[in-house]
Amino acid sequence: METVRRLYPASLDRKAREEIFGWILILPALLIILSLILYPIFYNIYLSFFNVNLDGGNTYIGLDNYKDVVLDPFFWNSVITTILYVIFTTIGTTFMGLIVAMAMNKTFPLRWLVRSLILLPYVAPVISVVFAWQFIFDPVNGIFMDVTVNKLHLFADRFNLIGSPKAAVWVAILFSIWKNFPFSYLMILSRLQAIDKNLFEAAEIDGADSWQKFKAITFPEIYFVMGAIVLLRIIWNFNKFEEVFLLTRNVKVLSIYTYFKAFTGTMEMGQGAAIAVIQFSLLISFIFIYVKKVLKW
Amino acid sequence: MVKKKSLLRSTGFVLFILFIVFFVLFPFIQMLSTSLKYQWDWGNPSLIPRKINLEAYKELLNIGQAEKSLPDSIKNLLKNTPNLTKTQKNRIIARYKDTGNVFPFFEYFKNSLILAFTAAALSGIIAIFGAYSFSRIQYRGRSTIQRSVLFVYMFGGIVLLIPLYRIFVKLGFLSTPTGTFLTLIVIYMVQTLPVSLYMLGNYFRTIPYSIEEAAMIEGLGRFNIILKIIIPLSLSAIITVFIYSFMIAWNEYLFASIFLKGFKNLYTLPMGLTALFTSKNAIWDRIMAASMLTAIPVIALFMVVQKNLAGGLSEGGVKE
Repeated sequence: METVRRLYPASLDRKAREEIFGWILILPALLIILSLILYPIFYNIYLSFFNVNLDGGNTYIGLDNYKDVVLDPFFWNSVITTILYVIFTTIGTTFMGLIVAMAMNKTFPLRWLVRSLILLPYVAPVISVVFAWQFIFDPVNGIFMDVTVNKLHLFADRFNLIGSPKAAVWVAILFSIWKNFPFSYLMILSRLQAIDKNLFEAAEIDGADSWQKFKAITFPEIYFVMGAIVLLRIIWNFNKFEEVFLLTRNVKVLSIYTYFKAFTGTMEMGQGAAIAVIQFSLLISFIFIYVKKVLKW
Repeated sequence: MVKKKSLLRSTGFVLFILFIVFFVLFPFIQMLSTSLKYQWDWGNPSLIPRKINLEAYKELLNIGQAEKSLPDSIKNLLKNTPNLTKTQKNRIIARYKDTGNVFPFFEYFKNSLILAFTAAALSGIIAIFGAYSFSRIQYRGRSTIQRSVLFVYMFGGIVLLIPLYRIFVKLGFLSTPTGTFLTLIVIYMVQTLPVSLYMLGNYFRTIPYSIEEAAMIEGLGRFNIILKIIIPLSLSAIITVFIYSFMIAWNEYLFASIFLKGFKNLYTLPMGLTALFTSKNAIWDRIMAASMLTAIPVIALFMVVQKNLAGGLSEGGVKE
């Protein structure tokens, strides 16, 4: 307290004292964010121009890391996987969130229970649910193979769905939709609950059907919240690591590709840093287009 | 005609709700079911175990495991000499126990708990003051600070992983267990700080300013206003933010997997579970039981604060 008092003597007017006090309060948070988020980001950009040696020394190699990355077909593969993953999970979570929110906005018995059960996938730790998903798709014991092969005869033989990169990406997408749609649902539901009920009554008197009511009343009201959750989902899933990595290491989205590049084998940290920079630039341009074209801000 | 249509519609609605509940709960039911099944029952698609198997839970919770892991000769010795006292018996068990195969669930649980609790508490405390500052006090640069807090959302963990790893290796923190553990606490705190700042800032703005003005007229300084008025009034929001940060740290795997690689006894639950899954002990019932035990504390916490948490989430203060 003594230092605080000394920093703003009585001679300062109230406004200046407030200003100093405001800065003192934010300072710890600011220092932490500056030193452990912003500084590392710039350090990452710096590292991307170096050959990072594990014993400590770095050698400047200019754009070589970027060249190596861009010429690597596996990199482009993971760019495509990431875009596929982001597009389908975003559409899936938003669409499912919307339908479920509309259903939960109606009254029915036990609604309170269903509403809280729906949130379970979102709050359960990733690590505790991935194994259940792996078991469901397990070639020997899993129920998915039992139903599709033995009951419905869709496939001739049991196979390891999570084991093949081509198929596993769809399992990862389905898993992400299951895990994250409750968030979209929650955001949309709270917006739906705020819509004036009189609007619907007026529309009914005018003879509007459900679709017309949705188009004329509900959709304009939730347009912005939908825009915001799509934006958040794109940002989050573009950087997603845990949800994919723990479920299957075969789906090499950019974060996982970087992780393997920088921390396994020859540990190419410089190249890893370069991929992270590219990844971030891709995300920024993606967002820029989205904000300009879709949200029209 | 109208009645028939509405009956069809309400049946469809009920079926849809049931489908949603099934979709949401199925993996959890599968988890519970497999954790209670014997190995010969795994391939059976029915979710109800033919015979309940509690071994996996007993093993993880260390119930009745002391004698099971003993070599046979010692077991026989214990059986054939019934006049041993309890302390003698325990001493023999402790000496010959084979701990190599036991999954140290409690230790991982404890590590996760300490890490998540400390990180969430620290970030909560720093965020209370920071959020009060930019939501209540007027000063130059305030909106820049607010905006940059939001900007931090865009950076995934992977962008920070390489530079932070290099920085802490250079500082020499990662060569000792204590240093590594502290580093992880700091990193988890940093990861949850922006969320906490944002959520608390949103909440503080809903507290009527007149309450503070009244207190100022009474002669209370800003600092005391935070301690005596703002904190008690926003206790539910603070707890919500704490639990939210706790869950982020409890779930974290990316940083733990790199930083804790060399320190097996510092493993967090996500680390331990992945290690268990890829080890020779990888048995579905144990994996599922461990998954259940990892999920239960978080789900229980969630149930306690559900209403607040749901509110906090929909106010937009979230990070994944």
